[in-house]
Amino acid sequence: MELLSYALRKLIGGIPLILGVTLISFVLMVYFGPDKTFELLSKNPTEAEIAQVRAQLGYDQPFLVRYGTYLKEMVTLDFGFSDSTGERVNSILQRTIPVSLALLAPGFILGNLLGIVLGLIAAWYRGGWIDKLIMGGAVVGMSISFLVVIVAFQALFGVVLGWFPVRGWVVHDLPSYLHYVTVPTLASVFVALGYNTRFFRAVLVEEINRDHVRTARAFGAKPAEILYRNVLMNAMIPIVTRVLFSIPLIVVSGSLLIESYFGIPGIGKVTFDAITSGDQPVLKAVVSLTAVMFVLILILTDILYRAVDPRVSLSGETAR
Amino acid sequence: MLPSISLFSDINRPTLSFCLLLMLVLMLVSGCSEAPSDEYAEIYRHSEDEAPSSLDPAQAATVYANMVVVNVFDTLYRYKYLARPYELTSNLALDLPEASNDGLTYTIRIHQGVEFADDPAFPDGIGREVTVHDLIYSIQRHFDPNVRSQGAWLWSGRIVGLDEWGENGADYSAPIEGLRALDDYTLEINLTAPYPQLAYTLATGFSALVPREAVEHYGREFAVKPVGSGPFRLTSFNSALAKFERNPKFERGTFDLAAEGYSAALHGEFDLEALDGQPYPFIDGLEIHFIDENAARWNSFISGEVHNVMVPNEQIDVVLESRNPIVLNNELAERFYKHAAQEAGFVYAGFNMADEQFGHHPEPEQDAANRALRCAIRDAFDWPARNETFYFGLGQIFPGVIVPLVPEFDAALSTRSIERNIDAANAALDEFGWRDNLPTLSYGMPSSVQQRQMFEQFRAQLQDIGFATDQFVPESFATFGDFSRAIKSRQLDLFFLGWTLDYPDAQNTLQLFYGPNATPGSNNFNYQNPEFDALYDQTLTMQPGPERTALYRQMNDIVIEDCVAVSGLSRTRVHLWDKQVRMLPDREILGGFFMRFVDLADAPVAAELNN
Repeated sequence: MELLSYALRKLIGGIPLILGVTLISFVLMVYFGPDKTFELLSKNPTEAEIAQVRAQLGYDQPFLVRYGTYLKEMVTLDFGFSDSTGERVNSILQRTIPVSLALLAPGFILGNLLGIVLGLIAAWYRGGWIDKLIMGGAVVGMSISFLVVIVAFQALFGVVLGWFPVRGWVVHDLPSYLHYVTVPTLASVFVALGYNTRFFRAVLVEEINRDHVRTARAFGAKPAEILYRNVLMNAMIPIVTRVLFSIPLIVVSGSLLIESYFGIPGIGKVTFDAITSGDQPVLKAVVSLTAVMFVLILILTDILYRAVDPRVSLSGETAR
Repeated sequence: MLPSISLFSDINRPTLSFCLLLMLVLMLVSGCSEAPSDEYAEIYRHSEDEAPSSLDPAQAATVYANMVVVNVFDTLYRYKYLARPYELTSNLALDLPEASNDGLTYTIRIHQGVEFADDPAFPDGIGREVTVHDLIYSIQRHFDPNVRSQGAWLWSGRIVGLDEWGENGADYSAPIEGLRALDDYTLEINLTAPYPQLAYTLATGFSALVPREAVEHYGREFAVKPVGSGPFRLTSFNSALAKFERNPKFERGTFDLAAEGYSAALHGEFDLEALDGQPYPFIDGLEIHFIDENAARWNSFISGEVHNVMVPNEQIDVVLESRNPIVLNNELAERFYKHAAQEAGFVYAGFNMADEQFGHHPEPEQDAANRALRCAIRDAFDWPARNETFYFGLGQIFPGVIVPLVPEFDAALSTRSIERNIDAANAALDEFGWRDNLPTLSYGMPSSVQQRQMFEQFRAQLQDIGFATDQFVPESFATFGDFSRAIKSRQLDLFFLGWTLDYPDAQNTLQLFYGPNATPGSNNFNYQNPEFDALYDQTLTMQPGPERTALYRQMNDIVIEDCVAVSGLSRTRVHLWDKQVRMLPDREILGGFFMRFVDLADAPVAAELNN
């Protein structure tokens, strides 16, 4: 019950945040975003046709009226139709978000799990050659452009070795899924691993130097047990924060580069196209979804803090 | 007592793990699509460098949209597959249109028994017969204010009563005098004045026949769920891939190689003879892969995932053994066919003539001085350098605005206007007193690295005639739409643009200089010349022939003489395709008609199955 009431309180408290995000985003869209009018006009438009298209796009309405329409669309969950394709915005989201999730989830999970494992190993052997090897590898992963990694992996696995397709997404069962997802996953893990490992190592090194870890060592606990029980579990708060706050970006923004280069029809490419072409119905939906997801993640993060650290209280009191 | 809650006390660990696993599986399954049913079919996999947005013929303004539109829908006419220069031939129409002696009435008969592809939009999901009423409806839509047509300009002011029909509320039950169905298969078009390009307009994707039931059934989503009577049916579409299956109802006779303009000397190597006399389309399915990134497109082609590629610029030197003549390197020549095709269009730089600093001026003396300034800028422009740097020296530089691919092109025209001549430019500037008073010019471009490089090259060349670095100012725009808006609102002094022909007639480029078409119309130059306009008006109603060609060329001379544009260059595109595929790819004149004639010589999967 306490959990439910906490979640409700936070949800209500998140409404101003959502309003703020949507308002700022809408100001940017309206006053600084591309003008769609001339992309929808013919080669030989008349002034009347220009005015007509502007009216159809709602550009002739006052800002507040347009923002009011936006809020109404958010409440009714109906963002209308894409100005570019004419497809219903909800259909676009339903079609593309699952694809992005299926595409990016393996890389996200593997990248974080491997990052934690390598971070633990590097922290345990801090200053030794294993640490230097892992950190050197992380720097290499961080230094190479994601674009270069994608093109190189496509060429290596698709053209030279021929093990996997260069691009595409014709997924209908587990084997076909693994066939298409492997190279994008390898590419995203290769790049993410460097950043993740460095972050997790820093967090874990701080934890590994604490008294309780030294005490556990003095008691003769095995390294694996110490790393899991005494180090990792006590460092979960920053880890949970980092991992959870990455989720909305994966769900909503996808990965533009991966989707573009691998020809995968996910939300990342849709969002990018909407930004660059000024497709406001799609942008409004994506911004709203991102804002709502961030609020939900904030709530989930607080709940998970409590799950991983009993000292944290959802009622606002601090355990001593 | 410490406050504590056991969040997961009522959920045991196995249950929690199962829930998480289930969520993961559901998430992965939701990203899956239907299993392909075409595993053993002959499917041609085509690559394009950009995805279309709308597939509604009323908005089919790009090459990419037309690639889909002309394959899903029917047009009355199309271009012969292999004949160059382009020649019109009938498609859904039985013959080329019959024109009355005064050129005001056209009669068109269409094939009987042609049916729309089956679709849930029709009663019982069965496509009905195509009639000329569908053509009338399809053209009417362009004048319906709710449709956001990009093709209305083709018929605006041309067909009796059509513009008025749109202005009066677009009531589809109201008859239009200029569009009359004599019966279900015969259409009469009444024009306000002779319109020699009418048949060409009926070969554009804009004129494709759409069934009213489907437009009403899908509403705005008709733009992504098109239904037509063309050779293929669209089965799925997204920003990466369009998939089609052969429309079983499509019957248009057999492939006549000779009638399509076959020449053994030009096309003999492509193994097309085997297709002669066979009913088309030859393939069971079609996939168009939209691959924006050059590296991904090239890798996809080399690995065999797609059958064709338009060679990206950065691969040209890798691919070609020689540029002149264009010869493929030996390794690739063993695997692929090559065809170097000139674009049906051109690239050019243009002045905003509405600006009195360098454009039209009411004072004759200043007007002459402004002309001298524009001509000096033109003479400073180095076309061979532009061609070499950005088009690998493969483009054709030509004087004026009548492009090489139209029949009216004058190969003997003086090349003076495309030769760099700094001495002449400086002399003209001196003569008209342009020295310390050169104006600062803004140069607009869409934001991209290559556009910026083009600008820098131009700016460096202008320094040779005295323009300081800060006198040629770049203005970049995030999207082409914003760039277009700046041109149409006359904010830019100079701009570099490309033009793709809508039909193979020089009128299509000359209209860019016609006074009444000034911005926001297609005359981005805002060029006003009564002599030019009078000639244009005169040619508007003339049938093709030597007399009209002479007038076209006279108009071309006027544009060159007035230095309205720095023009031009027609790019050459090198197409490669797998030798397994029998075809000659072509994307010009907003086209994609060739796909109905594509055949796969040997489908490996099918062959494997047979073995």
